Amino acid sequence: MKPRIGFFDFAGCEGCQLTVLNLEDRLLELLDMVEIVEFREISSGGGDPLDIAFVEGSVGPRDEIERLRKIRKKTKSLVALGACADTGGINSLSRFQTASTLQQTVYGETAAPPPVALLRPLHDFVAVDHRLPGCPIDGEEFLAVLQALLLGRPPELPGYSVCVECKLAELPCLFDTGQICLGPIARAGCGARCVQGGSRCRGCRGEMENPRSNPYYRILTDHGLTEEEIRDQYRLFNLPEKEDR
Amino acid sequence: MTPFAHISGEETTSSQIWRSANRGEIDLFVRSLSTVYEVVGVQEKRGRLLRSRIDDPTSLVLDFPPRVHSPKKFLFPNGEKLFRFRLGGKVLLETERTSPPRVIFGMHPCDLHAVKILDDCLLEGEADSSYRALRDSAILVGVDCQPDDHCFCTSMGTDRVADGFDLFLHHHDGSYLIQTGSPRGEALLLRHAPRIAARPGEPPLPLQLKQCSNGLQCSSETLPTVLEGAYDHPTWEEIGNLCLGCGACNLLCPTCYCFNVHDRLDLNLHGGERVRTWESCQFDQFTKVAGGDNFRGTQAERQRHRFFRKHKYLREKHQRTGCVGCGRCSRECLSQIEPATVLNSLFKEQAGPVKTQMPGLEYQPQLAEIAAVRILSEREKLLRLRLAEPVRFDPGTFMEVSVFGLGEAPFTIASAPDGGRELEIVVRAAGNLTRALHRLKTGDQVGVRGPFGCGFRMADLVGSDILLVAGGRGLITLRSLLLAILARREEFGRVILLYGARDPESLLFHDDLMAWHQGDQLDCRLVISDSGGDWCIARGEVSHLFRDLDIAPHRTIAAVSGPPGMYRSTNSLLFQIGFDEDRVFLNLERHMKCGLGKCGKCQINDICVCQCGPIFPYSKVRHLREAIER
Repeated sequence: MKPRIGFFDFAGCEGCQLTVLNLEDRLLELLDMVEIVEFREISSGGGDPLDIAFVEGSVGPRDEIERLRKIRKKTKSLVALGACADTGGINSLSRFQTASTLQQTVYGETAAPPPVALLRPLHDFVAVDHRLPGCPIDGEEFLAVLQALLLGRPPELPGYSVCVECKLAELPCLFDTGQICLGPIARAGCGARCVQGGSRCRGCRGEMENPRSNPYYRILTDHGLTEEEIRDQYRLFNLPEKEDR
Repeated sequence: MTPFAHISGEETTSSQIWRSANRGEIDLFVRSLSTVYEVVGVQEKRGRLLRSRIDDPTSLVLDFPPRVHSPKKFLFPNGEKLFRFRLGGKVLLETERTSPPRVIFGMHPCDLHAVKILDDCLLEGEADSSYRALRDSAILVGVDCQPDDHCFCTSMGTDRVADGFDLFLHHHDGSYLIQTGSPRGEALLLRHAPRIAARPGEPPLPLQLKQCSNGLQCSSETLPTVLEGAYDHPTWEEIGNLCLGCGACNLLCPTCYCFNVHDRLDLNLHGGERVRTWESCQFDQFTKVAGGDNFRGTQAERQRHRFFRKHKYLREKHQRTGCVGCGRCSRECLSQIEPATVLNSLFKEQAGPVKTQMPGLEYQPQLAEIAAVRILSEREKLLRLRLAEPVRFDPGTFMEVSVFGLGEAPFTIASAPDGGRELEIVVRAAGNLTRALHRLKTGDQVGVRGPFGCGFRMADLVGSDILLVAGGRGLITLRSLLLAILARREEFGRVILLYGARDPESLLFHDDLMAWHQGDQLDCRLVISDSGGDWCIARGEVSHLFRDLDIAPHRTIAAVSGPPGMYRSTNSLLFQIGFDEDRVFLNLERHMKCGLGKCGKCQINDICVCQCGPIFPYSKVRHLREAIER
């Protein structure tokens, strides 16, 4: 029997699922090997057990947490799909507000505003087996992770920094041009796509394994950043560990 | 064994031929090569200089900075396929196809040395056949470079290369000299650039001395010993604390070759390929094993390993440096970990003998070519020297010129400072050196150092009338000044030359004198002390020429150059006329042996002529008892 996989989404832009759809021909080739039973972007399905669940988006409101827990219960391997699910992603910026301020800002003086909760990554609520970091995810990495899971071996993410892929792409270092880049501590796997495209790394894939924070901090201060500005660099995509929030 | 011995079956040093070629011919060469080979080289892409396949020969960049990444990717590619396998039923292995023949243009000397190191490491014992396949099918074309602040190739002996290439392009005279380094390179020229191949060989270029601001303070051969005693040194902890673990040093290194091996599966999981990817000993997982142990658990240990491997282990194993001093590791290190600095600090602490930076370099001449020889008199010849670089000087300064084996002597510059590469000196056959200089022909080479000394500063002379007083060979120096003045004649007032010599044969620069005498650019008066012969020249001493001189001393500058005895009479005459002491300049040439203010031979009392002179305003030397015979 073909492995059954499902895609689920919570608070997020669904760009990661779109990345999967954009694989087009390659996705079709995959469909031969699996049975996609739930995919909001293309179909909807029932509540049977799943081999793999790809879950996109962050979670906050109580009913969402419940839905996530149900998915967890019926799934062998739960994969956090993209930055929002994995590290909180851009949603983690919400932590600088209270829930009520956010509610007020978004819905104004509506008589019955929908409930608003601060958004969190999946692992705040359920056990996450595997991760596909990035905003959005990298299509090739999605395929590699899916392959690994189909073969029954744990998928591996690169543990080194974006600098590695930047050097391999023979890109000039942004620090040489006076820009601040999170590449030295961000996890590789994206092929330094943002730097290739003329931008800088903002660390959407989270930190590499064993980030060398001390030397990096020194380099940033050498480039004239204050402690608060350095924090700002990290904040866009990364929520601190629970105890540090 | 030379790197090509296994290909050509013979040693390569037998015949290296140098032939000239211009850029257009090189383009044609590349175009012809492209029909048979994949030609790769440096070209600009999206504002960056990258090495990649050359489709348009004119886009090939031959002059590029050391910053460009190394050509390692063509010989040892990241992600190289080792073989394919098929799953499902019986496992089936398929070997990779052989690599296409490729010509790699733009190998800097350090990169060619790096290939030798890769050869040592990957071909020793059971040779790595994937590397060998790419290596054997690659033709290496070197090109010269200029070191930047991060290069320390001169310390590693990798700033030049004698073999290990098929062809090498040397910049020469705005064009190129192509040096063949192997029979294969020669054959390549014959087939794809017959016009260049048909040219007769040219003399090899002299070894160009490169200057690196960065470098080792000890000889690179002592590094294994230096490191031997530094295994537990705190420096590893210090640079370990700086290191970001990004591996850039390894990834950019032209000699790093450590790799990892992965299986990359086809999407349908029916098969896949086994590939090797570049690895870095600075990564966390480099020495990590399945049980979780990490045999080099700290960044300090990893940095130490990098230094030991480059500068001790590989050198001891292959008797060759493992580092070519290309500076790529430090150039792109965000934490500015700089190998020469680290090694120097270790070396200094061990208080070993300090290596002086290129001892004797200031005494070492550059080579210059004799561009022309002209006979000026029975004993004097004018030599026109062509230097490697354009030369700037003031009239009155001098060059040290040497013939190897016979020594060196100072010669005042006789030509105008025109900013070009050529200058003239006048040589009187007197001793061994000068007689040897007289024997030289056009195209021969001499050594030159300089220019040295303080001459006439043109800015001080502009706007004045100029009185030049020359005696005998003193005209040589004043000719440089006079030509400089004539080149911008309108900026000066009257120009008068008073020139005396012993006899007509001793008058130098007959042609010039004739032109000056007949032209209206200056007032040229000559006198000779002995018999006049056929020449209609007044008889007497130079001082006689002062008799009918009507000049306005307050707006005139006098430049006097002649034998020591001459100054006695001319100085007093000038002051009688009313010259100010600041407006009389004397040429007080002495035996300026070293030109560096060191040898003491040109000292006048406490003044060093080669540093402060030989051109002095009278006011500066009036108090020197040795300056002028009184």
